[in-house]
Amino acid sequence: MSLYHHAHIQTHRQGFSRRSFLRNAALGAMTAGTLSFHDLMSVSAEELRQQGRSMILLWMAGGPSHLETFDPKPKSASAGELKAIQTSVSGIDISENWKNTAKVMQDVALIRSMTNKEGNHQRASYQMHTGYIPSGSVKHPSLGSNIAREIGNRELDIPTIVSVGSTDGAGFLGVDYEPFNVSNPGSIPNNVAATVPKKRYQKRLGLLGRLDSEFAGRGGEVVVKNHSKIYNKASSLVMSPQTKVFDLSQESASLRQEYGDNNFGKGCLLARRLVEAGSTFIEVRSNGWDNHQNISEVITPISKQVDTGMAALIADLKSRGMLERTLVVWMGEFGRTPKINPRAGRDHYPRVFSAAMAGGGVKGGQVIGASTPDGSAVEDRPVTTTDLFASICHSLKVDPKKENMSPLGRPMKIVDGGKVVTELFS
Amino acid sequence: MMSFSMKRATQIVCIFLFSVSILLCHSSTFAATKSSSQSKKRQRVDETTLAEQVDQLIEAELKKSKIQPVKLANDEDFLRRVTFDLAGRKPTTSEVILFGLDSNPEKRKTIINDLLKSEEYAVNWARYWRDVIYLRATNARSRINQNEFEEWMTTQLSENKSWDQIATDLITATGEVRKNGNTALIFAHQGDPAELAAETSRIFLGIQIQCANCHDHPTDKWKRNSFHELAAFFPRVRVRPVRDAMPRSFEVVSVDQGSQYDRRLQMLEDPSPLFKAFDRNRDGKLTETEVKRSRLARNFEQMLSRGDSNADKALTIKEIKNIALPANTRRATPEYLMPDLKDPTSAGKVVHPVLFVGTKAPQGLKDIERRETLSKFLTSKSNPWFARAIVNRLWAEMLGEGFYMPIDDIGPERSAVHPEVLDALADGFTANGYDLKWLCRTITNTRAYQRGMQKKTEGQIHTPFAAQSPTRLRGDQIFTAITQVFGVDDLQANRGGGDRRYRGNRTARGQFSTLFTFDPSTAQDEITGDVPQALFMMNSSTINNLLGTNRNTKLAQIAKEFPNNKDAIQELYLLTLSREPSKTEMKICQDYIQSTDSRNEALEDLMWSLVNSSEFITKR
Repeated sequence: MSLYHHAHIQTHRQGFSRRSFLRNAALGAMTAGTLSFHDLMSVSAEELRQQGRSMILLWMAGGPSHLETFDPKPKSASAGELKAIQTSVSGIDISENWKNTAKVMQDVALIRSMTNKEGNHQRASYQMHTGYIPSGSVKHPSLGSNIAREIGNRELDIPTIVSVGSTDGAGFLGVDYEPFNVSNPGSIPNNVAATVPKKRYQKRLGLLGRLDSEFAGRGGEVVVKNHSKIYNKASSLVMSPQTKVFDLSQESASLRQEYGDNNFGKGCLLARRLVEAGSTFIEVRSNGWDNHQNISEVITPISKQVDTGMAALIADLKSRGMLERTLVVWMGEFGRTPKINPRAGRDHYPRVFSAAMAGGGVKGGQVIGASTPDGSAVEDRPVTTTDLFASICHSLKVDPKKENMSPLGRPMKIVDGGKVVTELFS
Repeated sequence: MMSFSMKRATQIVCIFLFSVSILLCHSSTFAATKSSSQSKKRQRVDETTLAEQVDQLIEAELKKSKIQPVKLANDEDFLRRVTFDLAGRKPTTSEVILFGLDSNPEKRKTIINDLLKSEEYAVNWARYWRDVIYLRATNARSRINQNEFEEWMTTQLSENKSWDQIATDLITATGEVRKNGNTALIFAHQGDPAELAAETSRIFLGIQIQCANCHDHPTDKWKRNSFHELAAFFPRVRVRPVRDAMPRSFEVVSVDQGSQYDRRLQMLEDPSPLFKAFDRNRDGKLTETEVKRSRLARNFEQMLSRGDSNADKALTIKEIKNIALPANTRRATPEYLMPDLKDPTSAGKVVHPVLFVGTKAPQGLKDIERRETLSKFLTSKSNPWFARAIVNRLWAEMLGEGFYMPIDDIGPERSAVHPEVLDALADGFTANGYDLKWLCRTITNTRAYQRGMQKKTEGQIHTPFAAQSPTRLRGDQIFTAITQVFGVDDLQANRGGGDRRYRGNRTARGQFSTLFTFDPSTAQDEITGDVPQALFMMNSSTINNLLGTNRNTKLAQIAKEFPNNKDAIQELYLLTLSREPSKTEMKICQDYIQSTDSRNEALEDLMWSLVNSSEFITKR
């Protein structure tokens, strides 16, 4: 049967539900000729898991202004109060708050021609996380969940998908691919540390198991089996020596300093440690980019935090030889209006905005696309959400056309449409 | 089967003496007859008769397949199940013991009636409906009126408003969302006609018409038109911010004439009236001087910058027409426009409201009239889907499996198990004026509901309704059970946690619910729980602080009050799982206490294990 069927058996507690059986049967009938393709896919997926590719998403919640970050327009009427600075790559200038990133520009590709139509935070965030427009009838999985499902290491004690700050989830892919939320990077996440000594904790688990098997004997076997699977996973996290990955004090003080002593910097350092320990997708969130007022003032401190963390992350990954296998993506849900509003801020602007990528086979030191001189529209080479997602999949060797079944039996591609931005990889 | 310590017995007998005076009360909530104009098939039947009819139908069918249904569950299991289903909590220790002692042959019927009369019934089901609506919301900000919806729904349910009335109120809601809980459904989807069509159909008819949004329905008979004709009931609904409201709020309004914004869009599409009004020198061009002090003055500069292609500081009709309309704005026309798939940028064609199960509305109705008309069509007794959908839903919620699965996909091309039972229930429900308590009472009085669980043997084929299937408790029910077990009113909220914008998430219940929630329309076999939930139950300080015997906790009391290990174990089982331990369980627990140096520590471990057990979060 299809790969979906394999996974389903692992995910759901009765092997497969009646619904999924019908779904698979229907799928089988529809695609009878292509079953071998799916089989092939499941083989190569296993190989891909071994390659240890991963992605770190630096998410700027609120919609970062392209003009105050990676697409400054100092000479136009759209310019704010911030200046542009040169980077390590001649010809690429970015906003003055990004001094550290400027030094690693040779490893970063900027896309200055991102374009979308959604100007509402939640809807745009959803779209920029899942690649789909929100719909009441189906909760789309985020790209991170899809990636974790495709290439994540299933044997890992620690979660394959982690988010520093809450984010969009696994949608219909289910709990196995739900991001593990870390709210205070630097310390062991909530409820991961046992409240009693490990020996007693294990004794408790033993008692729990014995009592549960009694319930299984009364007719609760399916519930018990499922419950113990989850508890095994949870307790192996609690007992695992790998949880020290969350403890940043194991890194040198100078390196921690380089990343920055704030939640974003710590999140970036944690992301690197998680990638090293085998996690596949980590999102690190920075809040405060919805600058409707006093943008030049408000954006400076958060820009400096992100600049420090991001540049340190790229340099650190590179010095450890991990950058080739680790894709770092910087983005937010949209850009901001070229015109400064009467409150000295900028409003939502999806028509053109920027994204930045490093590592994962991306050729650094280049700019893809351009916005018009006033930063109000795409001038050259528009890149849509799906183009960006297809490119991310390309970097991680995930098949963007792979279909998963939505709960109503509708096949949904990981990325629906979109073309790889080939210049990124050339 | 009730063996309990002497001390317990005396306590209980005292309470028992009080309660024998409670009379068996037969409810007759369906006294007010509306009309008997409906077909003879739909005669009013009382719940006992219908429950019996349902059981006979199911049992006859099982007999044909030579399947022996499992016998009724014992009192403990039945009581726990029905208390969770109707009141959203576990039965207390004394309720369990009293119920076991009660020799009244009608005691199950009595307890069902009592639970349905409790306020907890309304609260429990209001939370259920909150999850049905909000977990599918397409805009996260709709959470701001979740509490108001819960309150509103609780009132409806405790007054036992009929299901057609509730549906009508949800569909025709208007007003500020923080003051009108019934705006929930519309607010959850920002008044978007397509989403509202999909959700109205899914929730009230159990039909997933939204597949027909872009193409004819792949597996049902609906055409693409049907979906858009349903959406055409909603094009005049708007959700807009309430100006200067603190805290921030929104209102659901009807827009029967185009808004100012629409008029501007219209003006850009057809600028000729502008020229008639402002082009004084009739040169076919509008200049800044000409529009000075007119309504155009404010935006003229912007129009110039976007449209003045020959840079002569004047705009011709053609130049205005060429100004690109703002992308991605929903045209707020008074009529619904069905998108043209071949030309997605075009306005689409006007579609008038028709409910796909058969009824067409008059054209040109105002917003409220449209939505009232839709409610009438939906709740009409000639529309069988309205009753079937809710019967299937409530039956599945209480028995763990429905006639149709998934429960909200019951369209005409779907096949049901025991369709004749669903029809019997749906007819009875309709004849009884869509009385929700009648429906709950009927379902819980069936033997199908009251059966015990069954240990499955290898390779046994699952037969619906032959035995009770254990089902996952909803987040709110688990939360309530935890507070009951530890004898506290509330749990400790995580101060740093939750989303600061939503008050619901600052409460312990809100946070717990965020962690433990699942869409109640999900099939039971797809609800698995997850690692963060397990971590919370095992390691959170919220739970562990209540387990310590060195503080004044429920467990410390038990440890002191029951010096005998056997008594303490029994008490813990009654407290957490609402039943007595089996012999084997008793042995396991006694051995555990003996093998542990500290009795208190062993009791803590035992309570920890019971609260973390599969059974604790499962309706058995």
